[in-house]
Amino acid sequence: MLDKSIARDVLDAALATGGDFAELFMEDRRLGSLLLQSNRLEGVNSGRKHGAGIRVYTGLTAVYAYTNDTDREGLLRCAKAAAGAVIEQKNGGAECKPLVTSEYKSIHEYRMLPSDVETRKKVELLRAANAAAREAGDEISQVLCLYNDSEQDVLICNSDGLYVTDRRVYGRLVCQAIASSGTENQMASEAPGALRGFEHFIDTIDATAVGRGVGKAAVKMLHAPMCPAGIMPVVIDNGFGGVIFHEACGHSLEATSVAFGQSEFCGKLGKQIATPIVSAVDDGTMPGEWGSENVDDEGTPTARLVLIENGILKNYMIDRLNGRRMGMAPTGSARRESYAFAPTSRMRNTFICPGSDDNDEMIATMGDGLYAAKLGGGSVNPVTGEFNFAVNEGYLVKNGKIDTPVRGASLIGKGSEILMKIDRVGKEMKMAQGMCGSLSGSVPTNVGQPMIRVSSMTVGGRA
Amino acid sequence: MKDFIKKLIASAKDAGIEAAEAYLVERERFRAMTHEGEIIDYQSNLTRGLGFRGLVNGRMGYASTEAFDDESVKLLIKGVLESAELCEDTDVEFLYDGKDDAPAIDLYDPALDKVSAREKLALALESEKLAKGYDARIDSVSYNMIVTDKASVSISNTLGLDRSYTVNDCMLYTEPVAKDGDSVCTGSYQVVSHHFGDLDAKLVAESAAERAVLSLHAKPVPSGKYRVVILNEAMTCLTKVFATIFSAQTAQKGLSLLKGRLGEQIAAECVTLIDDPLMPDGLESRPFDAEGVPSKAHTLIENGVFKTFLHNLKTAHKDGVETTGNASKAGYSAPVSVSPSNFYFKPGEKSLDELLESIGNGLVITEVSGLHAGANAVSGDFSLLSKGYTVKGGKRERPVEQITVAGNFYELLKNIHEFASDLCFPEDGTGSASVDVGELSVSGAAE
Repeated sequence: MLDKSIARDVLDAALATGGDFAELFMEDRRLGSLLLQSNRLEGVNSGRKHGAGIRVYTGLTAVYAYTNDTDREGLLRCAKAAAGAVIEQKNGGAECKPLVTSEYKSIHEYRMLPSDVETRKKVELLRAANAAAREAGDEISQVLCLYNDSEQDVLICNSDGLYVTDRRVYGRLVCQAIASSGTENQMASEAPGALRGFEHFIDTIDATAVGRGVGKAAVKMLHAPMCPAGIMPVVIDNGFGGVIFHEACGHSLEATSVAFGQSEFCGKLGKQIATPIVSAVDDGTMPGEWGSENVDDEGTPTARLVLIENGILKNYMIDRLNGRRMGMAPTGSARRESYAFAPTSRMRNTFICPGSDDNDEMIATMGDGLYAAKLGGGSVNPVTGEFNFAVNEGYLVKNGKIDTPVRGASLIGKGSEILMKIDRVGKEMKMAQGMCGSLSGSVPTNVGQPMIRVSSMTVGGRA
Repeated sequence: MKDFIKKLIASAKDAGIEAAEAYLVERERFRAMTHEGEIIDYQSNLTRGLGFRGLVNGRMGYASTEAFDDESVKLLIKGVLESAELCEDTDVEFLYDGKDDAPAIDLYDPALDKVSAREKLALALESEKLAKGYDARIDSVSYNMIVTDKASVSISNTLGLDRSYTVNDCMLYTEPVAKDGDSVCTGSYQVVSHHFGDLDAKLVAESAAERAVLSLHAKPVPSGKYRVVILNEAMTCLTKVFATIFSAQTAQKGLSLLKGRLGEQIAAECVTLIDDPLMPDGLESRPFDAEGVPSKAHTLIENGVFKTFLHNLKTAHKDGVETTGNASKAGYSAPVSVSPSNFYFKPGEKSLDELLESIGNGLVITEVSGLHAGANAVSGDFSLLSKGYTVKGGKRERPVEQITVAGNFYELLKNIHEFASDLCFPEDGTGSASVDVGELSVSGAAE
């Protein structure tokens, strides 16, 4: 992707004003998307993202410059721009060490590269999902099926002598069904994806099942009454239910906030931050999973990080620069949406580990409350721990029995409080795909958990 | 770049593409963040992206690129041909020939371009210092940021359209953290403008710090129905999420409940909603839309009556009307769709204080979160984590947090009692004054 001698010249140029470390990130990415809507293939788009970003450290601060011009002159210009922004150091100035290629065996296998697969095959997925969603009947007023894929080739090199490449191939199917009464609309959606080639949609994802599921769910929500409002026990199903952990805890364990003392979990390593039945992991090494990579966007190999063990905080997710600030080693958690963003620590495949409680028992003993079957996204303020997430499909629980479906609502709380209110953790962990937005842009992440119970939460319904 | 586009158009003609259009965005961006008096993040960048579209047998194909070599020309042509061939959309597609002149509006401030990085950093550092020093209870500043942006947009096509404009703007944002005993809260404020001189560090710092301090020791309110006033800034957040219901594209796809409701009373009589792409100093002002069609202002809701959807050439043709000049692209690589520009509710007469006097007892919502998940434009439903304060006897009483506010936007429009006079555009073209929306469901805790 880039000649080592050019790379070295670029890094040296970046260090010319006294920076102590420089990093070059280069990216070439092919993207494609297909949209089927109103029973017609309406949007077929393809693109190429291409560019490089140069970061220069001076102690605990960094400057970042990026460009689309990646020939030798373009990269040198970018390096000079970055160097020009560095506050000149009198006794600084590192030199780029000889670049040595980092070899490794890829954990991820791509059998059918999206660019080699006939578009017709991808369209078939959409048609199958669309037809299945519309089986739910005349109340289905619209179905959107979107397929997108990308092949990203990255090169990362730095003044410590690192020179490493990675290829990430992604594919995702998004299916949204809308049910309408004429005066009211309700929606349901599913969006499975993976860090895999097109084989994922042959051997694992059944587009028909995805479509059928959203069609049925949309109609169910159209006929469901409003969600109740108030404070009550909540059981959250597995899979995308893991959003609760992602928002209530995950973001607040990223060095992005922790390094600046801006997280409610600062200074809590070794302390009890959740009930003893909660253990949680962030694992970037799971083969083919949406949040995995061989190496992170700073070239550090990814790892399986135990975040919480039996309620005790064990690890933060740390990138190189924030690691310097914290005096701790990076954990392979540095990520960025593209070369247009400086990297920072982010989540990958983040989940609550399986426990030993029984799903039926946790519902049977909850009294009156809410069973949140399908969650939507959410957000958090890591400083205060205030988080929220949406329930897209819920069920009233009356006296320990699942009663009627109810329409969606937001659930809110404070991270540190909610972790201490998890009183049941089920046995079967599942993950689901999402896109997470933060300082370094939008990145693919898995959320996951077994079915869990929170003894009380504020439910933002209307009834 | 001109050569690249020439080559591209020539290759398009050779490949049998009937009409082709190149949409180029060149962007220069600067961002710096500070922490404890130090610059911790500094980014300065120049990028380009080209969106290409072409008509083949009446179908529109799309492709895009950030690389401008010969391989890219091939990929763009191939992409457009394949895209058009597969497309089953039977709606008639258009390119605009540029027959009407675009109005002259001034969106570029050369003075902003001349501001040095040093001056920008100094301003950001000043804002952080002032925020920290505002009150003993301000413990730290969690985010402090200055951004300057310059973008040039050019559209050229084989029908003779060739127009461009350049716009620049800047933003100063700060988010201090207040602490008092166990209570920790943040407050934030920003100024976004076309002019560097508008970035008032004292205003930003003190407003944000004041908000943080006023939120200390906030508590929820008991669940129930409350009379709610939504503060101007929070109302713009809500409006932004639901703006798409006014798009003809959204309605034609069956995703807006406003479909078929032109001429009907869809909102209270005090509601007038305007889209004005020519607003002087407007943050979303532009001389023409993403198809090159000249900008024009429109009234979408007039005294509660639904007057017009927002359109592009394709949606207008389908509905048998003229385009409103609201074609948009969510980035150079996105297909043409529809969106508002400077989009705001006409303000009322009363000040916020007078509005609170008139409601007597209730709740003011100052902040809403989780809009991307807790609000749904298809259904109109919203259920959002909120902050604010209680109102008793027409006066501000105590701060509130950890509550949700829930409702449906279509119903909310109908139940609006009154707008105040404090119209603001906090971060982009969406604007609103504070508004008495009648009753909403609130979920919280018993005190």
